[in-house]
Amino acid sequence: MLARSCLRSTRAFASLRNGAVHVSKRAASSSSSGSAADSPLRLNIAAAAATAVAAGSVAWYYHLYGPTADASTPAEEGLHPTKYPWVHEQWFKTFDHQALRRGFQVYREVCASCHSLSRVPYRSLVGSVLTVDEAKAMAEENEYDTEPNDQGDIEKRPGKLSDYLPAPYQNDEAARFANNGALPPDLSLIVKARHGGCDYIFSLLTGYPEEPPAGAQVGAGLNFNPYFPGTGIAMARVLYDGLVDYEDGTPATTSQMAKDVTEFLNWAAEPEMDDRKRMGMKVLAVTTVMFAMSVWIKRYKWAWLKSRKIVYDPPKTNNTPPRR
Amino acid sequence: MGFWDTITDLVDAATPWATADAEAPAKELPEETTTEATKEEESTEAETAAAEEEPAAEEEPAAEEEEEEEEEEEEEPVDPKETLEEECRNSKQCSPAKHHFDECVERVTNAEAEGGAKEDCVEEFFHLAHCATQCAAPKLWSVLK
Ligand code: HEC
Repeated sequence: MLARSCLRSTRAFASLRNGAVHVSKRAASSSSSGSAADSPLRLNIAAAAATAVAAGSVAWYYHLYGPTADASTPAEEGLHPTKYPWVHEQWFKTFDHQALRRGFQVYREVCASCHSLSRVPYRSLVGSVLTVDEAKAMAEENEYDTEPNDQGDIEKRPGKLSDYLPAPYQNDEAARFANNGALPPDLSLIVKARHGGCDYIFSLLTGYPEEPPAGAQVGAGLNFNPYFPGTGIAMARVLYDGLVDYEDGTPATTSQMAKDVTEFLNWAAEPEMDDRKRMGMKVLAVTTVMFAMSVWIKRYKWAWLKSRKIVYDPPKTNNTPPRR
Repeated sequence: MGFWDTITDLVDAATPWATADAEAPAKELPEETTTEATKEEESTEAETAAAEEEPAAEEEPAAEEEEEEEEEEEEEPVDPKETLEEECRNSKQCSPAKHHFDECVERVTNAEAEGGAKEDCVEEFFHLAHCATQCAAPKLWSVLK
């Protein structure tokens, strides 16, 4: 390679001396195409065509898939809930357990007459919502079936901590029958089961307007709620100012109750959240320690390499200048 | 309550290994013969609780005080959501949405009076509600507990 470029440059010098400029140009050019008729258009035609195809394919894609097609009207879709700044949704925040207490009170006094919470046992309330004694007392208020006795009869016994919260209805059919054919869903996982989670539940509970907007069609036995898809919901507004008496003296406004019960339902759906976040913190803490250790270990392992010194000790020479 | 107790309580409240007990704290000392240690422990617990609550209360003293005064005057609490959203609906931010909604309501009610409207104002209502709730959300959360 070196030899060739040397050759070339000598040839260029030679042709310069001869005055043949075009020869020197040819020699200096690295292009391999030999024809002198190359116009800029010919040279760039492939790139230009590729660009045109690229632009065309993007345009075609947007022609096919660009505009979104909505299968439903905004009313059928429902109003998307506003994002509220829930404290417990922040990365390093836990549930506000005072709020959980209030929320459980709202569930018990208001929602429990229609909605079950069948995945929550009394024992899980202990320590996060109630004290042991409170939970025991509350469990004992309900009756549960015993195991069959010696005669095979099933008797009733008061509830224990290991029992689950009782459902308001025997079965779904009874629940539908009591609610005009609409089934009040189980609330254990409702926060996870709906788009918008907490924001949706809070908005749904507080979003009943005084009257539906002009012209809106509200089906028989339904109530207008903008957040419910279709806007007609079988559950009427249930929360009104001052409905419950909070034991901690918090003013029981509609939005306060809705906020508390929503946070409680979030806890019911995600009781492991506090622990999960603590676990996350542990992982971060351990990782930072390990990282710090790895930095020190790296310094230790590389020390010999980083601290070595390369010395070039040129041999003694006579002082003749290098040949050109 | 000595000076050092306050310090240890603050440390207790801040340490990550401080535990919250599921048991309710014992209400009364069972007997006169209880040792000094139990007494001290209990006052420590009470103080810890107080120390934990303080920072939360400091956050919005003005708003909370106003709320409480209002509550004392009238029995029925007033929902801050309603008032805040009403303010927001009438604010400049939501005036386009409100304008469209009002116009629609007028148009539709007129059409209904003349025998049958062909449209409804649900969409306009959505836009207005969206604007109002969005505007009221942070204010509402600063008032609610
Ligand atoms: C009078 C009975 C009743 C009470 C009390 C009641 N609900 Fe409902 N709820 C219903 C019915 C019926 C439905 C089903 C509505 C439908 O499908 O149209 C429902 C549906 C729901 C839904 C589901 C909405 C959806 O997106 O599918 C949620 C969430 C809900 N209720 C929460 C609550 C909460 C929280 C409370 C207590 C503050 C409560 N409900 C009190 C009857 C009730």
